[in-house]
Amino acid sequence: MTSPDSEFDQRVRAGILSEAIDTAALERSLRDRIQRPRIPRWAFAAAAGIILAIVSGVTYRTLFRPPTPPLCIAAAEDHRREIVNGEPRRWLTDVAAIRSLALKQGVPASAIPALGAVGYRLERGRLCFLKKQIFLHLVYAKDGDEISVYLRPRGSDSPFNHSVHEAFAGPEDLAYFQTDRLSTVFVARHNVLRFAVKQRFVLQ
Amino acid sequence: MARRLTMDAGASEDLVQDTMLLAWRGFHQFEPGTNARAWLFRILFNVFHSDGRKAMRAPDVPLCIVRPMLQEAAEIAEALEALALDKRTVILLCVVEGFTCREAAEILHLPIGTVMSRLSRARQELRAMLTSMAQEVVR
Repeated sequence: MTSPDSEFDQRVRAGILSEAIDTAALERSLRDRIQRPRIPRWAFAAAAGIILAIVSGVTYRTLFRPPTPPLCIAAAEDHRREIVNGEPRRWLTDVAAIRSLALKQGVPASAIPALGAVGYRLERGRLCFLKKQIFLHLVYAKDGDEISVYLRPRGSDSPFNHSVHEAFAGPEDLAYFQTDRLSTVFVARHNVLRFAVKQRFVLQ
Repeated sequence: MARRLTMDAGASEDLVQDTMLLAWRGFHQFEPGTNARAWLFRILFNVFHSDGRKAMRAPDVPLCIVRPMLQEAAEIAEALEALALDKRTVILLCVVEGFTCREAAEILHLPIGTVMSRLSRARQELRAMLTSMAQEVVR
């Protein structure tokens, strides 16, 4: 470095460094940031992934789910009136009497769902009309929670098929299927798909 | 350094905070016995270039308190800020911060020859600007 450069550099350096800056507040802010617990980037990525999955699921469920069959809508309305709102109906509460009624309707005892393994007991039953068709309406209960099961011998005009399907009608969740002999609809205010799948498996 | 580099009080504070935080979190990467200042400045320039000068968010209220400069110092600062960023950078590193050209080259990830030639041109421009400013005052 030549002497003029050296002198010039010294002048520039002195000029720039003469600017007095009080960095105490900046230092305090920096210390706060260092002491603050750090959320790792993967946590943000994971949260974003979960939110995206939920939003996609809800969107798919809202936009692309198949329309709920009219018979299922009727079952949901019946469940809402008779079980949720507790409108007065005459019920059979004796299990033997319910089984007898079922048999008269062409529903064998083996087709009556046994939900004891998951804590639900058969509480009452009656006949009802859904879309002008007679169904056996069974009610299972567990700690105040109630599930309706609608059964009827399979007709030639049954809208169901052998797969278990899930459907929604307002706050009611539904699952439905048919076997060679019966059409079955499960209704509750929570997911009933697993009950229907299990029952479908039993009836195979 | 950060203030002269960004020419913005808020952005320079962001730059310093981000640099110090990265240094704190990556301190295990520092090799004891090597130049700590050069390591810090390398981080500072990496942050400066990766964030993009314009994208850096300035805090609502600048934290630092700056006292007014003397006339000559203010002129030097003004002339420095008028330099192009690459020239201003080598002046800040080699002249103000006192790094050698080799150290500045390592900090900036540039060949030493580039730093030397930039420094030479930057000095010339700065000197010309300061001379011009002095003549304006005399006139």
